[in-house]
Amino acid sequence: MFNQNFLVFLGFFQDLIKYKNIYVYPIIVGVIIGCLAPLIGSVIVIRRLSFIADTLSHFSLAGVCFGVLLAHQLADTVFENTISPIALGIVFSVIGTLLIEKLRSFYKNYKELSMPIVMSFGAALSGIFIALSGDSSSNITSSLLFGSISIVELKDFIVILVMSLIIIIFIVIFYKKIITLCFDETFAKVSGINVKLLQLLITIILAVFISISMEIVGVLLISSLMIVPVASSILVGKSFKNTCIISVIFSEVSILLGIYFSYTLSVPTGSLIVIFNIVILLFIMIYRNLIKCFKKKNTKQLDYSITIDPNTINENVDEVTEINEEDKEIVKEENLENKE
Amino acid sequence: MRIKVNDLSFSYGQKTILNHLSFSINTGDFLTITGKNGSGKSTFIKCLLKLHKIPNGMIYMDDVDINEIKKYHNIGYVPQKAEFNYEFPITVKEILSTAYQQRTYDQFYKSIVSSLNLNKFYNENINNLSGGQLQRLFIARALLIKPRLLILDEPTVGIDQENVNNLYQILKQLKNEKITIILITHDQEFAKDLYDHLLHLDEDTNYTFTTIGDDKNV
Repeated sequence: MFNQNFLVFLGFFQDLIKYKNIYVYPIIVGVIIGCLAPLIGSVIVIRRLSFIADTLSHFSLAGVCFGVLLAHQLADTVFENTISPIALGIVFSVIGTLLIEKLRSFYKNYKELSMPIVMSFGAALSGIFIALSGDSSSNITSSLLFGSISIVELKDFIVILVMSLIIIIFIVIFYKKIITLCFDETFAKVSGINVKLLQLLITIILAVFISISMEIVGVLLISSLMIVPVASSILVGKSFKNTCIISVIFSEVSILLGIYFSYTLSVPTGSLIVIFNIVILLFIMIYRNLIKCFKKKNTKQLDYSITIDPNTINENVDEVTEINEEDKEIVKEENLENKE
Repeated sequence: MRIKVNDLSFSYGQKTILNHLSFSINTGDFLTITGKNGSGKSTFIKCLLKLHKIPNGMIYMDDVDINEIKKYHNIGYVPQKAEFNYEFPITVKEILSTAYQQRTYDQFYKSIVSSLNLNKFYNENINNLSGGQLQRLFIARALLIKPRLLILDEPTVGIDQENVNNLYQILKQLKNEKITIILITHDQEFAKDLYDHLLHLDEDTNYTFTTIGDDKNV
């Protein structure tokens, strides 16, 4: 059994070297996404925008499907290699952001209405583009729903690297402002931060990130990739930095395990990554509960030693002269019960 | 920072809160606003900070209509109850460092932290702080942006006497540095000798604006 597992493990690394284009790109991309997802996720969680991630991923899917359709239509022409579905996904995602903002201004009291409208519009467009692009693209589009490690090509790899670099530079430059805006919008407004512009930039960054991580994790699971590691880390984090670092570690562990097991078990990468993330979350929850129980037990023991020690109570009862007879009876009864 | 309020009126729906309010203060002045609950003290501040929309021509900062100011610079604001996101772990140090734009913690930073006695819980998660400790943290944060206008809404509520005295010393120093200060308070004894102007708002939307020294009511 052990030997068999070891051979699979070895086979993975042999394949890694042999087909490095197929495996190395996705692993590098996976590690980058694993680092960025919880960082962006933290911002989303603090600003309560979890649903926007899902909406944009669906709209971004429409862009990618449109890219696949274009590539299909332009096959055997000079433009064949110029179409990058991911780049189109990014463009659609940004359009989706602007659409959400526009729709929000129409419904002052039902601002969340804009999300399902844009989401269903994106899903509908995706369906049409998939159908128009014919059978040849069905493999690509189905893997876009749940993610696959084997579809990252060189041009997509470069797009992802460049976009990740832009996101990292953005985070480094605006780090303080982003935190101020996330935690206290009023203070951000009056202390000199252009809140509207920064909010728009954050949403665009979110849109870009969703498009680039779509291939690895899949449209349906992107928001959980950003949110579940953060959900785990806020249960154990002690400071903002500490929480972010812990969430990046959780995310990287689940991404690497997800990629490895999706290779060995031939299951979609995104599904496995999310499953590992949720397993970590469960462990953290159990750990937290155990600590809580342990602390409760300790305080209970402490209470017991103070209040239920029969001798102490007797002494106390005798010492307190003002206590009335009824109260004395009650204390003595309790005392007897405890002795029993 | 000079502030000129020109015939400011504001209402929530049918209910008028501020009615034809007019006064002006100069750079380095200390304005105290008093009045009962619901008399419009915080509403006035929100109008001033553009958290409520008001028509043009009602409030000027340094002779510029606030509606024409694209974004505010260096206004330190300590609200009565900060709408802060408390659920995500963040420490006192991290909150202060985000407000402070310089990379190194110089003497100014350290003096603010120590004068408000924040050292003891400097590395604590803010979830573990009491109301008074949080209030001191938010005052420190407002001071760290080196404000030209400092607005304090009931800053002494929940703070022990020692820290109230420290806050008084800080305000005294800021007044010497010609920083405009607006203080909303129920405690009229606090920092009484620093007042330049007193604005008293009534529940029935009347107001009195007194300049200390002149004792000339408007």
